Amino acid sequence: MDHVKLVNNPIDIAHIHQLLADEGCGASSVFVGTTRDNFQGKKVVSLAYEAYDNMALKEMKKICSDLRSKWPELKHIVIYHRLGTVPVCEASVVIAASSPHRSEALESVSFAIDQLKTRVPIWKKEIYEGDHDSEWKENKESIRPKKSLSAFNYAACPCKVEESHDVPRTLVQIRVNDAELAKRLECFVNRKRAEINSQNVIDFKSSFADSENDLSDSCARTQSTIIKQEQSNCHLKVRRVNNRCGPQQMELRPNYELELNKLMGSRDGQNDPSKEMRKSLPNSRLQAIESYMGLSTDNEENIFTRIKKVENRMLQLESISPEYRHFTNLEPQSMEPPPPKKIRKKSYSAHELSVFIQKMKDGREMNE
Amino acid sequence: MSTDGPVVNVHVLFFAKARELANSSRSNVDVPTEIVASDLLDQLVSRFGLTTIRDNLILAHNESYIDNLSDSILFKEGDELAIIPPLSGG
Repeated sequence: MDHVKLVNNPIDIAHIHQLLADEGCGASSVFVGTTRDNFQGKKVVSLAYEAYDNMALKEMKKICSDLRSKWPELKHIVIYHRLGTVPVCEASVVIAASSPHRSEALESVSFAIDQLKTRVPIWKKEIYEGDHDSEWKENKESIRPKKSLSAFNYAACPCKVEESHDVPRTLVQIRVNDAELAKRLECFVNRKRAEINSQNVIDFKSSFADSENDLSDSCARTQSTIIKQEQSNCHLKVRRVNNRCGPQQMELRPNYELELNKLMGSRDGQNDPSKEMRKSLPNSRLQAIESYMGLSTDNEENIFTRIKKVENRMLQLESISPEYRHFTNLEPQSMEPPPPKKIRKKSYSAHELSVFIQKMKDGREMNE
Repeated sequence: MSTDGPVVNVHVLFFAKARELANSSRSNVDVPTEIVASDLLDQLVSRFGLTTIRDNLILAHNESYIDNLSDSILFKEGDELAIIPPLSGG
Protein backbone atom coordinates (compact mmCIF):
# COMPACT_ATOMS: atom_id res chain seq x y z
CA MET A 1 0.00 0.00 0.00
CA ASP A 2 1.14 3.57 -0.66
CA HIS A 3 1.07 6.06 2.20
CA VAL A 4 1.66 9.61 1.04
CA LYS A 5 1.15 12.55 3.35
CA LEU A 6 2.11 16.14 4.09
CA VAL A 7 2.07 16.65 7.86
CA ASN A 8 2.28 19.65 10.14
CA ASN A 9 3.31 17.79 13.31
CA PRO A 10 6.42 15.76 14.21
CA ILE A 11 6.60 12.48 12.28
CA ASP A 12 6.23 9.39 14.47
CA ILE A 13 8.78 6.83 13.24
CA ALA A 14 7.15 4.01 15.22
CA HIS A 15 3.95 4.68 13.31
CA ILE A 16 5.87 4.37 10.03
CA HIS A 17 7.12 0.94 11.10
CA GLN A 18 3.54 -0.14 11.76
CA LEU A 19 2.58 0.93 8.25
CA LEU A 20 5.45 -1.11 6.79
CA ALA A 21 4.79 -4.28 8.74
CA ASP A 22 3.93 -7.31 6.66
CA GLU A 23 4.34 -10.99 7.39
CA GLY A 24 5.76 -11.75 3.96
CA CYS A 25 8.44 -9.07 4.13
CA GLY A 26 11.96 -9.74 5.30
CA ALA A 27 13.16 -6.18 4.85
CA SER A 28 11.97 -2.70 5.58
CA SER A 29 14.14 0.30 4.80
CA VAL A 30 13.48 3.69 6.37
CA PHE A 31 15.17 6.94 5.36
CA VAL A 32 14.79 9.87 7.73
CA GLY A 33 15.87 13.33 6.56
CA THR A 34 16.57 15.64 9.48
CA THR A 35 17.26 19.34 9.64
CA ARG A 36 20.87 20.49 10.13
CA ASP A 37 21.85 23.13 12.64
CA ASN A 38 24.40 25.01 10.55
CA PHE A 39 24.98 26.38 7.07
CA GLN A 40 28.23 28.05 6.01
CA GLY A 41 29.12 28.88 9.58
CA LYS A 42 25.72 30.37 10.33
CA LYS A 43 23.71 28.84 13.14
CA VAL A 44 20.34 27.60 11.97
CA VAL A 45 17.54 28.11 14.46
CA SER A 46 14.71 26.49 12.55
CA LEU A 47 13.45 25.72 9.08
CA ALA A 48 10.20 26.69 7.45
CA TYR A 49 8.76 24.36 4.81
CA GLU A 50 6.04 25.23 2.36
CA ALA A 51 4.51 23.17 -0.44
CA TYR A 52 2.29 23.40 -3.47
CA ASP A 53 0.12 20.90 -1.60
CA ASN A 54 -1.97 19.32 -4.34
CA MET A 55 0.84 19.06 -6.81
CA ALA A 56 3.27 17.81 -4.15
CA LEU A 57 0.91 14.97 -3.26
CA LYS A 58 0.42 14.23 -6.93
CA GLU A 59 4.21 14.04 -7.53
CA MET A 60 4.71 11.90 -4.42
CA LYS A 61 2.10 9.44 -5.67
CA LYS A 62 3.85 9.46 -9.02
CA ILE A 63 7.08 8.48 -7.27
CA CYS A 64 5.24 5.57 -5.63
CA SER A 65 3.99 4.28 -8.97
CA ASP A 66 7.49 4.72 -10.46
CA LEU A 67 8.90 2.64 -7.61
CA ARG A 68 6.33 -0.09 -8.14
CA SER A 69 7.08 -0.35 -11.83
CA LYS A 70 10.83 -0.49 -11.13
CA TRP A 71 10.64 -2.85 -8.16
CA PRO A 72 7.36 -4.84 -8.48
CA GLU A 73 8.05 -6.83 -5.29
CA LEU A 74 7.69 -3.79 -3.01
CA LYS A 75 4.94 -4.26 -0.45
CA HIS A 76 4.36 -0.95 1.34
CA ILE A 77 5.71 2.48 0.48
CA VAL A 78 5.59 5.47 2.83
CA ILE A 79 6.45 9.03 1.87
CA TYR A 80 5.79 11.60 4.60
CA HIS A 81 6.96 15.19 4.39
CA ARG A 82 6.63 17.72 7.15
CA LEU A 83 5.52 21.31 6.50
CA GLY A 84 5.59 24.49 8.53
CA THR A 85 8.29 25.25 11.06
CA VAL A 86 10.60 22.36 11.86
CA PRO A 87 13.11 22.76 14.71
CA VAL A 88 16.66 21.52 14.03
CA CYS A 89 17.39 17.81 14.46
CA GLU A 90 13.79 16.82 13.76
CA ALA A 91 12.65 14.71 10.85
CA SER A 92 11.52 16.72 7.85
CA VAL A 93 11.03 13.79 5.52
CA VAL A 94 10.58 10.05 5.92
CA ILE A 95 10.68 7.60 3.04
CA ALA A 96 10.23 3.92 3.75
CA ALA A 97 9.58 0.72 1.87
CA SER A 98 9.11 -2.93 2.76
CA SER A 99 9.78 -5.90 0.52
CA PRO A 100 10.50 -9.63 0.80
CA HIS A 101 14.23 -9.03 0.26
CA ARG A 102 16.49 -6.18 1.30
CA SER A 103 17.89 -5.03 -2.06
CA GLU A 104 14.55 -3.75 -3.41
CA ALA A 105 13.79 -1.95 -0.15
CA LEU A 106 17.20 -0.27 0.03
CA GLU A 107 17.45 0.70 -3.63
CA SER A 108 13.90 1.98 -3.92
CA VAL A 109 14.23 4.25 -0.88
CA SER A 110 17.43 5.78 -2.25
CA PHE A 111 15.81 6.32 -5.64
CA ALA A 112 12.72 7.85 -4.04
CA ILE A 113 14.56 10.49 -2.01
CA ASP A 114 16.47 11.59 -5.13
CA GLN A 115 13.19 11.87 -7.03
CA LEU A 116 11.56 13.77 -4.19
CA LYS A 117 14.36 16.33 -4.15
CA THR A 118 14.10 16.68 -7.93
CA ARG A 119 10.37 16.85 -8.57
CA VAL A 120 8.17 17.40 -5.53
CA PRO A 121 7.25 21.09 -5.19
CA ILE A 122 8.32 21.74 -1.60
CA TRP A 123 10.56 24.58 -0.47
CA LYS A 124 12.48 25.27 2.72
CA LYS A 125 13.76 28.44 4.20
CA GLU A 126 16.55 28.46 6.74
CA ILE A 127 16.15 30.88 9.60
CA TYR A 128 19.50 31.81 11.13
CA GLU A 129 20.58 33.00 14.54
CA GLY A 130 21.54 36.67 14.86
CA ASP A 131 21.16 39.26 12.13
CA HIS A 132 21.63 36.96 9.12
CA ASP A 133 18.78 37.12 6.62
CA SER A 134 16.84 33.92 6.26
CA GLU A 135 17.41 32.13 2.98
CA TRP A 136 15.44 29.95 0.55
CA LYS A 137 17.40 26.80 -0.16
CA GLU A 138 17.84 25.12 -3.54
CA ASN A 139 18.36 21.41 -4.06
CA LYS A 140 21.09 20.76 -6.56
CA GLU A 141 18.87 17.98 -7.95
CA SER A 142 15.93 20.34 -8.41
CA ILE A 143 14.13 20.43 -11.74
CA ARG A 144 15.27 23.53 -13.61
CA PRO A 145 14.36 25.29 -16.82
CA LYS A 146 16.11 23.82 -19.84
CA LYS A 147 18.63 26.24 -21.21
CA SER A 148 18.97 26.25 -24.95
CA LEU A 149 20.96 28.67 -27.07
CA SER A 150 17.88 30.04 -28.80
CA ALA A 151 16.34 30.87 -25.44
CA PHE A 152 19.45 32.73 -24.33
CA ASN A 153 18.46 35.83 -22.47
CA TYR A 154 20.60 38.57 -23.94
CA ALA A 155 18.77 41.18 -21.92
CA ALA A 156 19.97 39.56 -18.71
CA CYS A 157 23.61 39.98 -19.65
CA PRO A 158 25.29 42.77 -17.77
CA CYS A 159 26.32 45.61 -20.06
CA LYS A 160 28.63 48.11 -18.47
CA VAL A 161 28.42 51.61 -19.89
CA GLU A 162 30.79 54.22 -18.55
CA GLU A 163 29.21 57.03 -16.65
CA SER A 164 30.09 59.62 -19.27
CA HIS A 165 27.79 57.73 -21.71
CA ASP A 166 30.59 58.17 -24.20
CA VAL A 167 30.40 54.82 -25.95
CA PRO A 168 33.66 53.93 -27.71
CA ARG A 169 33.55 53.92 -31.49
CA THR A 170 34.34 50.21 -31.58
CA LEU A 171 31.13 49.31 -29.77
CA VAL A 172 27.67 49.31 -31.25
CA GLN A 173 24.61 49.73 -29.10
CA ILE A 174 21.53 47.78 -30.17
CA ARG A 175 18.18 48.25 -28.51
CA VAL A 176 15.98 45.36 -29.60
CA ASN A 177 14.33 42.39 -27.98
CA ASP A 178 15.89 38.93 -27.80
CA ALA A 179 14.04 37.47 -30.78
CA GLU A 180 15.12 40.33 -33.04
CA LEU A 181 18.68 40.13 -31.78
CA ALA A 182 18.80 36.36 -32.35
CA LYS A 183 17.47 36.90 -35.88
CA ARG A 184 20.09 39.55 -36.60
CA LEU A 185 22.88 37.32 -35.29
CA GLU A 186 21.69 34.50 -37.50
CA CYS A 187 21.58 36.80 -40.51
CA PHE A 188 25.08 38.00 -39.73
CA VAL A 189 26.42 34.44 -39.51
CA ASN A 190 24.67 33.47 -42.76
CA ARG A 191 26.02 36.53 -44.51
CA LYS A 192 29.58 35.79 -43.36
CA ARG A 193 29.20 32.17 -44.45
CA ALA A 194 28.05 33.25 -47.90
CA GLU A 195 30.96 35.68 -48.16
CA ILE A 196 33.48 32.93 -47.36
CA ASN A 197 31.80 30.59 -49.83
CA SER A 198 31.99 33.06 -52.67
CA GLN A 199 35.59 33.76 -51.77
CA ASN A 200 36.35 30.05 -52.01
CA VAL A 201 34.73 29.81 -55.41
CA ILE A 202 36.94 32.57 -56.74
CA ASP A 203 40.06 31.05 -55.21
CA PHE A 204 39.75 27.58 -56.64
CA LYS A 205 38.00 28.02 -59.94
CA SER A 206 40.21 28.36 -62.98
CA SER A 207 39.91 31.53 -65.00
CA PHE A 208 38.53 29.93 -68.19
CA ALA A 209 35.36 28.69 -66.49
CA ASP A 210 32.36 30.97 -66.83
CA SER A 211 32.43 32.66 -63.46
CA GLU A 212 29.11 34.47 -63.75
CA ASN A 213 26.81 31.51 -64.14
CA ASP A 214 26.84 29.42 -60.99
CA LEU A 215 28.65 31.37 -58.35
CA SER A 216 25.95 31.00 -55.76
CA ASP A 217 25.18 27.34 -55.39
CA SER A 218 28.34 25.89 -53.92
CA CYS A 219 31.48 26.79 -52.07
CA ALA A 220 34.95 25.49 -52.90
CA ARG A 221 35.30 24.11 -56.38
CA THR A 222 38.18 22.91 -58.51
CA GLN A 223 38.39 22.08 -62.19
CA SER A 224 39.33 18.45 -62.05
CA THR A 225 38.31 15.02 -63.24
CA ILE A 226 38.44 11.86 -61.25
CA ILE A 227 40.31 9.01 -62.91
CA LYS A 228 40.13 5.46 -61.78
CA GLN A 229 43.59 4.21 -61.02
CA GLU A 230 45.03 0.86 -61.92
CA GLN A 231 44.60 -1.82 -59.28
CA SER A 232 42.05 0.30 -57.49
CA ASN A 233 38.45 -0.46 -56.69
CA CYS A 234 37.60 3.18 -56.28
CA HIS A 235 38.64 6.46 -57.83
CA LEU A 236 41.34 7.10 -55.24
CA LYS A 237 44.96 6.82 -56.15
CA VAL A 238 46.63 3.63 -55.07
CA ARG A 239 50.33 2.99 -55.00
CA ARG A 240 51.37 -0.59 -54.82
CA VAL A 241 54.97 -1.36 -53.88
CA ASN A 242 56.35 -4.43 -55.55
CA ASN A 243 59.74 -5.31 -54.15
CA ARG A 244 61.78 -7.32 -56.62
CA CYS A 245 64.58 -7.84 -54.15
CA GLY A 246 65.48 -7.02 -50.59
CA PRO A 247 64.58 -8.53 -47.26
CA GLN A 248 60.88 -8.86 -48.10
CA GLN A 249 61.70 -11.36 -50.84
CA MET A 250 64.06 -13.45 -48.74
CA GLU A 251 61.58 -16.15 -47.92
CA LEU A 252 60.71 -16.70 -51.60
CA ARG A 253 64.35 -17.42 -52.52
CA PRO A 254 65.54 -20.97 -52.89
CA ASN A 255 67.21 -22.19 -49.74
CA TYR A 256 70.83 -22.03 -50.90
CA GLU A 257 72.25 -23.41 -47.71
CA LEU A 258 70.08 -26.50 -47.78
CA GLU A 259 70.67 -27.11 -51.49
CA LEU A 260 74.42 -26.70 -51.14
CA ASN A 261 74.62 -28.98 -48.14
CA LYS A 262 72.71 -31.61 -50.08
CA LEU A 263 75.17 -31.36 -52.95
CA MET A 264 78.18 -31.37 -50.64
CA GLY A 265 76.93 -34.28 -48.59
CA SER A 266 78.10 -37.01 -50.98
CA ARG A 267 81.01 -35.30 -52.67
CA ASP A 268 82.81 -33.79 -49.75
CA GLY A 269 85.34 -36.41 -48.78
CA GLN A 270 88.99 -37.17 -48.80
CA ASN A 271 88.65 -39.41 -51.82
CA ASP A 272 86.84 -36.77 -53.84
CA PRO A 273 87.82 -37.39 -57.48
CA SER A 274 87.21 -33.76 -58.39
CA LYS A 275 89.80 -32.51 -55.95
CA GLU A 276 92.39 -31.96 -58.65
CA MET A 277 89.82 -30.23 -60.83
CA ARG A 278 89.18 -27.64 -58.22
CA LYS A 279 92.71 -26.35 -58.42
CA SER A 280 92.58 -25.83 -62.18
CA LEU A 281 91.13 -23.10 -64.39
CA PRO A 282 87.69 -22.58 -62.78
CA ASN A 283 89.54 -22.09 -59.55
CA SER A 284 91.30 -18.93 -60.83
CA ARG A 285 87.97 -17.49 -61.99
CA LEU A 286 86.50 -18.16 -58.58
CA GLN A 287 89.52 -16.47 -57.02
CA ALA A 288 88.83 -13.35 -59.12
CA ILE A 289 85.21 -13.27 -57.96
CA GLU A 290 86.24 -13.77 -54.35
CA SER A 291 88.71 -10.91 -54.45
CA TYR A 292 86.07 -8.71 -56.11
CA MET A 293 83.61 -9.58 -53.35
CA GLY A 294 86.25 -8.85 -50.72
CA LEU A 295 86.52 -12.44 -49.51
CA SER A 296 89.71 -14.21 -48.53
CA THR A 297 90.84 -16.99 -50.90
CA ASP A 298 91.76 -20.40 -49.57
CA ASN A 299 92.57 -22.87 -52.33
CA GLU A 300 92.53 -25.82 -49.99
CA GLU A 301 88.91 -25.17 -49.07
CA ASN A 302 86.09 -27.15 -50.64
CA ILE A 303 84.90 -25.36 -53.79
CA PHE A 304 81.28 -25.59 -52.75
CA THR A 305 82.02 -23.95 -49.43
CA ARG A 306 83.69 -21.15 -51.33
CA ILE A 307 80.78 -20.73 -53.76
CA LYS A 308 78.47 -20.71 -50.79
CA LYS A 309 80.48 -17.94 -49.16
CA VAL A 310 80.26 -15.90 -52.38
CA GLU A 311 76.52 -16.40 -52.58
CA ASN A 312 76.05 -15.48 -48.95
CA ARG A 313 78.07 -12.38 -49.63
CA MET A 314 75.81 -11.50 -52.57
CA LEU A 315 72.72 -12.01 -50.51
CA GLN A 316 74.11 -9.82 -47.79
CA LEU A 317 75.00 -7.04 -50.26
CA GLU A 318 71.61 -7.33 -51.89
CA SER A 319 69.81 -6.96 -48.62
CA ILE A 320 71.95 -3.99 -47.55
CA SER A 321 71.58 -2.17 -50.83
CA PRO A 322 68.94 -3.48 -53.24
CA GLU A 323 69.58 -0.76 -55.81
CA TYR A 324 72.89 -2.37 -56.90
CA ARG A 325 70.78 -4.66 -59.07
CA HIS A 326 70.06 -1.76 -61.40
CA PHE A 327 73.65 -2.04 -62.56
CA THR A 328 73.26 -5.57 -63.73
CA ASN A 329 71.65 -5.98 -67.14
CA LEU A 330 69.42 -8.85 -66.26
CA GLU A 331 65.80 -8.85 -67.30
CA PRO A 332 63.75 -8.20 -64.20
CA GLN A 333 61.28 -10.98 -65.06
CA SER A 334 63.98 -13.60 -65.22
CA MET A 335 65.09 -12.72 -61.72
CA GLU A 336 61.65 -12.71 -60.27
CA PRO A 337 61.01 -15.65 -58.04
CA PRO A 338 58.33 -17.97 -59.39
CA PRO A 339 54.95 -17.52 -57.79
CA PRO A 340 54.49 -19.95 -54.93
CA LYS A 341 52.92 -23.09 -56.36
CA LYS A 342 49.53 -24.04 -55.19
CA ILE A 343 49.58 -27.61 -54.10
CA ARG A 344 46.27 -29.22 -54.70
CA LYS A 345 45.67 -32.29 -52.65
CA LYS A 346 44.05 -34.92 -54.69
CA SER A 347 41.09 -36.55 -53.05
CA TYR A 348 40.26 -40.17 -53.66
CA SER A 349 36.90 -41.85 -53.50
CA ALA A 350 36.44 -45.00 -51.48
CA HIS A 351 36.13 -46.96 -54.69
CA GLU A 352 39.40 -45.61 -56.10
CA LEU A 353 41.18 -46.50 -52.87
CA SER A 354 39.88 -50.07 -52.85
CA VAL A 355 40.99 -50.47 -56.50
CA PHE A 356 44.42 -49.08 -55.57
CA ILE A 357 44.79 -51.45 -52.61
CA GLN A 358 43.67 -54.38 -54.72
CA LYS A 359 46.30 -53.49 -57.34
CA MET A 360 49.03 -53.46 -54.71
CA LYS A 361 47.91 -56.80 -53.35
CA ASP A 362 47.88 -58.29 -56.82
CA GLY A 363 51.37 -56.93 -57.45
CA ARG A 364 52.69 -58.46 -54.24
CA GLU A 365 51.14 -61.83 -55.03
CA MET A 366 52.69 -61.76 -58.46
CA ASN A 367 56.11 -61.00 -56.98
CA GLU A 368 55.79 -63.84 -54.54
CA MET B 1 -1.42 41.37 -19.95
CA SER B 2 -0.75 42.54 -23.50
CA THR B 3 -2.40 40.19 -25.98
CA ASP B 4 -4.04 40.26 -29.38
CA GLY B 5 -6.18 37.12 -29.57
CA PRO B 6 -8.82 35.71 -27.21
CA VAL B 7 -7.94 35.66 -23.52
CA VAL B 8 -8.96 33.55 -20.54
CA ASN B 9 -8.66 34.23 -16.83
CA VAL B 10 -6.34 31.87 -14.95
CA HIS B 11 -5.15 31.54 -11.35
CA VAL B 12 -1.46 32.19 -10.86
CA LEU B 13 0.19 30.76 -7.74
CA PHE B 14 3.50 31.94 -6.29
CA PHE B 15 5.73 29.94 -4.00
CA ALA B 16 8.80 30.49 -1.81
CA LYS B 17 11.08 33.26 -3.14
CA ALA B 18 8.65 34.05 -5.96
CA ARG B 19 5.86 34.54 -3.42
CA GLU B 20 8.00 36.95 -1.41
CA LEU B 21 9.05 38.97 -4.47
CA ALA B 22 5.51 39.13 -5.86
CA ASN B 23 4.24 40.02 -2.41
CA SER B 24 1.35 37.68 -2.96
CA SER B 25 0.68 33.97 -3.05
CA ARG B 26 -2.08 34.10 -5.61
CA SER B 27 -3.37 36.28 -8.41
CA ASN B 28 -5.77 36.17 -11.33
CA VAL B 29 -4.39 37.02 -14.73
CA ASP B 30 -5.78 37.18 -18.26
CA VAL B 31 -3.69 35.13 -20.63
CA PRO B 32 -4.00 34.23 -24.32
CA THR B 33 -5.59 30.83 -25.00
CA GLU B 34 -2.34 29.77 -26.62
CA ILE B 35 1.08 31.11 -25.77
CA VAL B 36 4.72 29.93 -25.78
CA ALA B 37 5.82 29.18 -22.22
CA SER B 38 8.91 31.39 -22.30
CA ASP B 39 6.90 34.39 -23.56
CA LEU B 40 4.33 33.89 -20.83
CA LEU B 41 7.07 33.58 -18.23
CA ASP B 42 8.69 36.81 -19.47
CA GLN B 43 5.38 38.67 -19.14
CA LEU B 44 4.70 37.31 -15.66
CA VAL B 45 8.25 38.05 -14.54
CA SER B 46 8.05 41.70 -15.57
CA ARG B 47 4.52 42.14 -14.19
CA PHE B 48 5.28 40.63 -10.77
CA GLY B 49 8.85 41.85 -10.34
CA LEU B 50 10.60 38.48 -10.54
CA THR B 51 13.50 39.53 -12.80
CA THR B 52 16.18 38.57 -10.27
CA ILE B 53 15.15 34.90 -10.32
CA ARG B 54 13.80 34.69 -13.87
CA ASP B 55 16.38 32.17 -15.17
CA ASN B 56 15.61 29.65 -12.45
CA LEU B 57 11.84 29.68 -12.68
CA ILE B 58 9.78 26.84 -14.04
CA LEU B 59 6.06 26.78 -14.75
CA ALA B 60 3.47 24.20 -13.80
CA HIS B 61 0.16 24.17 -15.65
CA ASN B 62 -2.66 22.40 -13.81
CA GLU B 63 -0.14 20.71 -11.49
CA SER B 64 2.13 19.43 -14.24
CA TYR B 65 5.56 20.79 -15.00
CA ILE B 66 6.19 22.42 -18.33
CA ASP B 67 9.52 20.79 -19.05
CA ASN B 68 10.40 22.79 -22.11
CA LEU B 69 10.00 26.55 -22.13
CA SER B 70 9.69 26.62 -25.91
CA ASP B 71 6.47 24.55 -25.74
CA SER B 72 3.11 26.20 -26.29
CA ILE B 73 0.50 26.11 -23.55
CA LEU B 74 -3.23 25.95 -24.22
CA PHE B 75 -5.31 27.64 -21.51
CA LYS B 76 -8.93 27.27 -20.49
CA GLU B 77 -10.84 29.56 -18.18
CA GLY B 78 -9.98 28.88 -14.52
CA ASP B 79 -6.77 26.94 -15.19
CA GLU B 80 -4.06 26.93 -12.54
CA LEU B 81 -0.59 28.18 -13.32
CA ALA B 82 2.18 27.89 -10.73
CA ILE B 83 5.45 29.77 -10.72
CA ILE B 84 8.03 27.41 -9.29
CA PRO B 85 11.47 28.49 -8.05
CA PRO B 86 14.19 25.83 -7.54
CA LEU B 87 12.90 23.13 -5.18
CA SER B 88 14.36 22.46 -1.75
CA GLY B 89 12.22 19.69 -0.31
CA GLY B 90 13.66 16.84 1.70
